[in-house]
Order: sequence, then C-alpha cells, then structure tokens
Amino acid sequence: MMAIRELKVCLLGDTGVGKSSIVCRFVQDHFDHNISPTIGASFMTKTVACGNELHKFLIWDTAGQERFHSLAPMYYRGSAAAVIVYDITKQDSFYTLKKWVKELKEHGPENIVMAIAGNKCDLSDIREVPLKDAKEYAESIGAIVVETSAKNAINIEELFQGISRQIPPLDPHENGNNGGIKVLNSSMPGTRPCC
Amino acid sequence: MSAWIMGARGLDKRGSFFKLIDTIASEIGELKQEMVQTDVSLENGLEPTEAHSMVRHMDDGYSEEKDVKPCPRDSGYDSLSNRLSILDRLLHTHPIWLQLSLSEEEAAEVLQSQPPGIFLVRKSTKMQKKVISLRLPCEFGAPLKEFAIKESTYTFSLEGSGISFADLFRLIAFYCISRDVLPFTLKLPYAISTAKTEAQLEELAQLGLNFWSSPADNKPPNPPPPHRPLSSDGVCPASRQLCLINGVHSIKTRTPSELECSQTNGALCFINPLFLKVHSQDLSGGLKWPCTRTPNANGTERPRSPPPRPPPPAINSLHTSPQLSRTETRASMPETVNHNKHGNVALLGTKPAPIPPPRLKKQASFLEAEGGAKTLTGSRPRPGPEREREPEPEPEPEPAPGPAGSPGGALPEEAPDDCTSARPGGSESRPPWHGGRQRLSDMSISTSSSDSLDFDRSMPLFGYEADTNSSLEDYEGESDQETMAPPIKSKKKKNSSFVLPKLVKSQLRKMSGVFSSFMTPEKRMVRRIAELSRDKCTYFGCLVQDYVSFLQENKECHVSSTDMLQTIRQFMTQVKNYLSQSSELDPPIESLIPEDQIDVVLEKAMHKCILKPLKGHVEAMLKDFHMADGSWKQLKENLQLVRQRNPQELGVFAPTPDFVDVEKIKVKFMTMQKMYSPEKKVMLLLRVCKLIYTVMENNSGRLYGADDFLPVLTYVIAQCDMLELDAEIEYMMELLDPSLLHGEGGYYLTSAYGALSLIKNFQEEQAARLLSSEARDTLRQWHKRRTTNRTIPSVDDFQNYLRVAFQEVNSGCTGKTLLVRPYVTTEDVCQLCAEKFKVGDPEKYSLFLFIDETWQQLAEDTYPQKIKAELHSRPQPHIFHFVYKRIKNDPYGVIFQNGEEDLTTS
Repeated sequence: MMAIRELKVCLLGDTGVGKSSIVCRFVQDHFDHNISPTIGASFMTKTVACGNELHKFLIWDTAGQERFHSLAPMYYRGSAAAVIVYDITKQDSFYTLKKWVKELKEHGPENIVMAIAGNKCDLSDIREVPLKDAKEYAESIGAIVVETSAKNAINIEELFQGISRQIPPLDPHENGNNGGIKVLNSSMPGTRPCC
Repeated sequence: MSAWIMGARGLDKRGSFFKLIDTIASEIGELKQEMVQTDVSLENGLEPTEAHSMVRHMDDGYSEEKDVKPCPRDSGYDSLSNRLSILDRLLHTHPIWLQLSLSEEEAAEVLQSQPPGIFLVRKSTKMQKKVISLRLPCEFGAPLKEFAIKESTYTFSLEGSGISFADLFRLIAFYCISRDVLPFTLKLPYAISTAKTEAQLEELAQLGLNFWSSPADNKPPNPPPPHRPLSSDGVCPASRQLCLINGVHSIKTRTPSELECSQTNGALCFINPLFLKVHSQDLSGGLKWPCTRTPNANGTERPRSPPPRPPPPAINSLHTSPQLSRTETRASMPETVNHNKHGNVALLGTKPAPIPPPRLKKQASFLEAEGGAKTLTGSRPRPGPEREREPEPEPEPEPAPGPAGSPGGALPEEAPDDCTSARPGGSESRPPWHGGRQRLSDMSISTSSSDSLDFDRSMPLFGYEADTNSSLEDYEGESDQETMAPPIKSKKKKNSSFVLPKLVKSQLRKMSGVFSSFMTPEKRMVRRIAELSRDKCTYFGCLVQDYVSFLQENKECHVSSTDMLQTIRQFMTQVKNYLSQSSELDPPIESLIPEDQIDVVLEKAMHKCILKPLKGHVEAMLKDFHMADGSWKQLKENLQLVRQRNPQELGVFAPTPDFVDVEKIKVKFMTMQKMYSPEKKVMLLLRVCKLIYTVMENNSGRLYGADDFLPVLTYVIAQCDMLELDAEIEYMMELLDPSLLHGEGGYYLTSAYGALSLIKNFQEEQAARLLSSEARDTLRQWHKRRTTNRTIPSVDDFQNYLRVAFQEVNSGCTGKTLLVRPYVTTEDVCQLCAEKFKVGDPEKYSLFLFIDETWQQLAEDTYPQKIKAELHSRPQPHIFHFVYKRIKNDPYGVIFQNGEEDLTTS
C-alpha cells in the first residue's frame, strides 16, 4: 500500500494556449472511471505512481483572460506545482508565461515546482518561439521545460512525470509494509514481520 | 409471551423511558389480545435467535415474568449479571484490553502471564495498524501472535477475513465467540467474564493497564483450554444451561447446523433461508417476540435499541432472498431483521446469552439482504397478517418532502410516544397496509422487543436508529428536489412520525447504491459527540456551550465577517484537536471509527454541535456586516449591471443556461442556504457547477476548461441575482474543512468566489471601458506589453491590411485599404489616414469603430488590427467598420448602412 499524496497543481497561461487540452489529454489517456472529472474539465485529478508514493494531482485550471488575472492568486495558493503553458506559435503567450513566472516567484508558494509547457508543438512550421529560447529561460529560473502537443499526445505524460520527480518525497523512511503480511505467517513477538 | 414481556421490562429498566411505562403497560394488554387473535408467533417463522432467547426464558423459569415490574438497572438481581453480554463487558472494560499505545514488548510482558486466548488490542508501530495480540497455548511454539486489523473507510476487519464490523468492539465480541481466521476464539480475562454487574466491570476498568498485574485479574481455578469450534461440535441443548453461566463460552450453544455456518472460515454466505426456516420451525415454541421487524421505523423513535450494524461482507449471497417464494420471504426476511435485533440481545443482551456465531454473520448478511432487496422490512412496523405485502414495501423513489424539515422535529428521546401516530402520514405513497390494528401497540411493542437491555444503557452510541436527526440532516443534504415543499414541513412538525418514510427512504437510497457505504457508525459517533456537546458536565460540553452562547450574546465581538468566521473555524479546529486527544470520548473514537475517517467524523460533529446552533446567528451577522459596509448595495447594483450585458460581453463563448436552468440553479442555491454544514453547501455548489457544465457541453463532447467556465459561472451568478449567495460563499470559504479546500469542492468554491469578485468590481471595469469589455481587455493586455514586444508581429489571424472608410460631410464616403501591422496604434493609423485621404486638419479627425449601430472613438494607444481580430473571433459575426472622420461629426453615421459592401473590412 503506497501512500497517496494529494498535490495541487495549477495551470497558468494565456487563453487559447491549450491549458485544458493538456490536462484532458493527461487525465483521459488512461481513462479511469474512478477519476474521471465529475463536474467538468476545469478541475481534474489523476493519480500516478512515483517511487514509493502515489501522487494524486489535483489540477486546477485557471482562466487565462487578462480580466481574470487578479483571481489567479486564489488558484495558485497552496499549489505544489504550476504548469505554465504557452503556445509555440504565439510569441505573446511566451511573454505572458514570463509574467506568470515572475508573479509566482514573487507571490507564489515557496518551493513551488514550475513546469513550462510549450504547447502545440505539432505546429512547429509556424513556430514563433524557438525551443532554445524556452530552454534557456527555463534553465534560468530552474523550471522543467518540455514542448507538448495535447493534440498528438506528445510529452504530456512526461510533463507530469517531470513534476512528480521534482516533488520531494514525503518521508524517505516511510516505505513501510505493503500490507501483504499474511496473518498466519506473521511473525512471533520480537521478530520483524516480513515485508 | 414472556418474550415481549421481557421486552417491556427492558424498556422499564431504561431510566430515560420511565415515563413511557404506563403507555407500554396499557399496550401490553392490547397486545395480548392481538396475539391471541393472530397467533403471530406461529405465523411468523421464528429464527434461531428468537428461539434461543425463548429457551433462555424457559431456562430462567418464570422469574422473567416477575421482572415485569420496573427494576433499577443496578439492582442486585442475579439475573441481571447474566445480562451482561460480551459486547457489554468489552465496552466497559476497554481501558483494560484496548491499549493502543502499548509497545510490542510491553504487550508481550502483559500477556506472558495470561492463559491462552487472552488478548490485547494495541497499535503496532511497525505495521501502522491496530493488532490483536493474542496469547497462544504452549503447543503453538510462540507465546503470542499478532493479528492485524484492517480499517477500511467504514469498517474494521481482521486481515484475511471477509467479515467486517462497524467498530472494534463488535469485531472483538465476534472473535470471542467465533474464531474465523484466528486459531481459536478470544477469551476475556476471568474477572471480566464473570463480573456480575456493570459496577464490577467499571471497577475493573478503573485499573486500566494495571488490571493485568493486579489481584483483580484472578484466574479461574482451572483455565479451560481455548475452545476450538471443531471441538464444540454437537452441542446438545442440555449444555445451554451451562452456557448461561458463562457468556464467553457461548460457543457451546451452537446447534450443529449453526456450526456449519460458522465454519465457512471467513466466507461470507451465511444465511440459508431454508436453514432458517427449519430452525424457526423446530424452535418455535409458540412464543414470539411480537413485533420485531421494524428496526428503522422503530429506530426513529428509539434512540437506544440499535440493531448492530456490521457492514455487509462483500458477497452477494443474499441478493436472491427477496426473490424467494413468498413463504420463504416471510420466513427469512423478517427473521433476518429479527436477527438484527436479537443478535443484539444475544450478543449484548439480557441473558447470559448463548451466542451462536452465525447470528452475527446473519446480521452482516442481513444488511446485504436489506440492500439487495432495497426493501427494509423494518419500514413496516407491523408483521401481523399484513405480512403478505412484505415484498412490496418499496422506498418511494422520489425525494421526500422538504429538506426543510429541520431535524429537530423528531427527537429520539421522545420515543414510543411518537409512534402513536407512527403512520407515515399523507406523504406516503405506499399501499396502505395498516389494517385496523392498534398502532401504538405495534410500535411500542416492537420497540420493547427489539431492545437490548443492558446494551442500550451503556452504549447509546450504538443506537443507530437514534440517528433520526442525522439521517434527516443527511437527507436534507441529499435533497435535490427542484421545489421546496413547505406545506409538508408543517405537517412534519406536528407529527414526528412523518420522519419515518423519509428516514427509511434516505437509508434505502444509500443502500441501493453501494452496500458498503453504511454511514451508521459515523453517524452514531457524530450523534454521540453532539450529545456530549450539550452536556455541560463535560469539559467539551462546557467549551462548546460557552462559546456558542458567548457568540450569540456578544454581537460586537467581531470586527468583520471574515474575522467572525475565521474565529469560528479556529474554534472548531481546536475543539477537534481536543476531542481527538481527550479521554472524554469513551470509548475512544479509534475503536469505533476507522482511522482515516476520524477527522472526517470529527469535522461533521463540529458542524453539528457548533455550526448548527450558530447558523442563524452567523447568517444574521453576515447580513449585518454587509449591509453596514455597503458592500451588498454595491453588489446589488453590479448584479443589475452585469445582467444587462449579453453573455459575449462577459467573455462567454459557450452555451449558457436558459431561463429554466437558471431557475433550477436558483433553487439549488436556496436549498444551500438551508444547510448549516459547509460541506453540504459545497455539494450543492458542485451540483450547480455540474448543471452549468452540462449546459455548456450540450452534448457537443467538447471539454471546456476554466477559460470558458469562469465567464459562464459569472454570467449565471449574475442571472441568479441573489445577494445571499455572497454570504453563502463566504461561509463556505471560511468554514469548510481546510483539508477539502484543495479538492474539487475547493476549486469550484474558489471559482464562485472569483466570479462574485468580478461582479463586485464590475463597475470599476466599466468606468475604464471604451470598447466592449472583451475588446477592452484584449487591449489592456496588449497595451501592457507594448514596450516589450513592439517589433514582433503575429501573423496568426491577422492580415496586415485594414480597410478604412473616410467620411466627409461633403464628399460622402470613400474607402481605402491601408497597410497596418498588428502593433500599429490608432494614433499611427490616423496619421496614415490623414495622408491617404489628404486631410488638412488631422487633429480634428479620428478613427472610429462603427459597430452594432454605435460609434466608438478609438483611443490613441489601441491597436486597430487587434480590435479587428478580436471582433472576427467572436462567435457571432459582427458587421463593423473602421471609419476615419471628424471628431465632432454630425450624425451621418446612417449613411454607412448603405455603403456596407464598400466598407466591409477585408
């Protein structure tokens, strides 16, 4: 029995860059009836295994329109990670991304894991943002970066795996029993139960 | 007959029901008559449990009948000692055997000196689980062994066993009489198993862990070896007398066929209706507990006689039982119900209680049957001749009347009185099955017969039926009806029995869903804590009562609504911490509620004992605060403003709920206002969001994210036009259990809060508005970035051309297509136009947007290309023109309507 950790992840980025498409792809590729969105696509959850832990991502989508900007702090408050999405075919969205990074650095939760997703990489022939730019930028702020395509399911899984890896394990010592102890085989006093 | 007399006596014994004695007494006479008339006992197949109890009566001789007189619980009657059931003994002495903090070594030390079969329950740090540490006999090679206890969301079970229990006490009690996966049954220390009175048990319990080393822990002269089920084969009825003396060894009382049942080794199929029938026949001695089939119905009246509610094992063995022939059903269903009750009596019960293990199992499976059949036999108070209808009693599928029914209506303590009119009243859509019988008799008798004497004294918390309140609240919470039903509310007030069908229905509804999701242990605990909170003799009760009255009496003590709510939240959290650590909850919550549920249960209890009494006050205060600071006035105006906008202006580009849907949503919001529990309010909010989403998606299969949802939510909230919603959201935001804030409820709550904030600030936004809201936002966005990315054109969606019309009073209208890049400002375009159209005095001209028959002058720092792009991206095509004209123009705009084709921008 692995411990389940709930991790709040918020999605930031301009409207239209494909924030919710990324999550939908992530959540629905391995469709699990237990975790399908119960209300709608703006809040989704998905559980992935990471080492000894199970990470249950609670993914909070935000509205990207400027008029909703002031609400963003309520959404990223308490997040373990932020996925900041830009559209590789729209330079503007990359500028917005930088603005979000700046805001998170200033006002976001401490130690928030930042992951940059350059979405729509299937449209690289009309690309406006070179991958190199994104990589350099991500490196400068210590963020994960990956170009994704929600449409073609490229790098979506990897994006979230990357986040999982960056989340510090809860308690390295707690890898305890896996619940598989058979009652009849269980140890006598003084001996360790088999794991 | 003695059976129900005993029942009546049991009732008498209950101090809290003392006032009812007269009623009951008068009913006895009537019942006697009834029994003569209908010969209930013979018609109603008796199940073994009942038979046993009968046998017990007989064994006891007729002394039972003398007991009819009310006798104080602690009287010196010898027979009383025999009534201490195993469960009772366990409950009273948990400070002795329930040693959660004991280490393995300490446990070993304690048990070392004990005979085999003696056990402790402790929490293993290694496994992070509770375990039973069991002393083994020498031949097992090791002195003791640990058996892990598995805790699921609602149940406790031993690992490897399929039988689960609502709480730890039941689990232990069961393993005292049936070994299941254990090598042998558990044994209570001699002193505990032979104690004659509760007082003695209490005395022992006082010793706590010291019991084990004290002289009180005297050993029996010749400790009998632990019983193995196999060895107890073929118990003959004669041995019963023996069993009466020692409840622990009740295993001996099992009949061979019962033993068969018990040897399924953890398997889950326990009831064979035929088996039951056989037994009921050969054991029925003409005596019958007259009416024992109404656990739920009764429950509403009787706080204290709980059917044990071991959650159902995970097998569907019983699903078929309702489909048995009518006769079968008659025989088995009522019996299972009876088992449910009498199991109690046996287990916890009156008598030295021969406790055949199968009973417990049957109880367990009974629940299943209940669920599977979606039929609560218990919903009918009367087993009489109407029995034929048994299979029919159906839960009415439609939601029962108003959630409004404030749960206070039916106080369980009011007990059988209420049943006088225990007819489910007019709301009832079932076929009328009440004959001309005396209802009071029915109800009171079933009440008394189902009781579990000693048990109910010590364990009010087991009175799951007593959960009228909480069930109702739950019901309230669940209610999703689209219309309120106020008339019914009043009906309910005057007749508490109205509660019945509701309760039953809500229970049934739950059961019909998932069998395992029985809320009862949880509800019991919540109820228990709520009771404690009203008891000023406890520290906890004082704490809560003082706080509640302090708040109510000191309206000035908070400076703002947030301050008030946050203080309340803080108080709840602190009280929760206190409760989880204090010993005031006795038995400890860990023994009744699986660990991962403890916080959930405590939180619910807090809502009930703190928020419920404060709800009215908090509401009034919130209103006062918002009226006083003018924020609601502002909100009212803004709601009005926002409602006048069309959805697109709010940034809505998805289908929106129509009038009917908005009405539905309003109803849900109004229901929300009636709840005191923030969680239930959030549930309703989620329903609203779900409805909105359904409308948005409109079967299109498209998944909308927050970009689309938030504007629609804003639109909907404005349409609902409810100021109170602001208070509701605030209430939830501040009082919801912090651990829930990250989940779905928290998300949509945040969104609702965000939407309301947008509405509250709408006017500011308006004031700065030159263009439509959407365009304006787009512009602001670009404006901010102008300095940084001026040189970078975006090809997407734009063409670098702009068609501009030139309007002069004299020359009419001409148009030109200009090369205008995305980041060229209006100012620059004007300059360009001045050149192209050869305007001599450009300062008097400006660029206008003509759209929807209105003129809007573009500000100098706006980008015409972006505006164009934005307009093009709207779902509905707009006809618009960029027009270069004199600033103070005469109203020639009309002309443009004729020249459309010329002017249409590229």
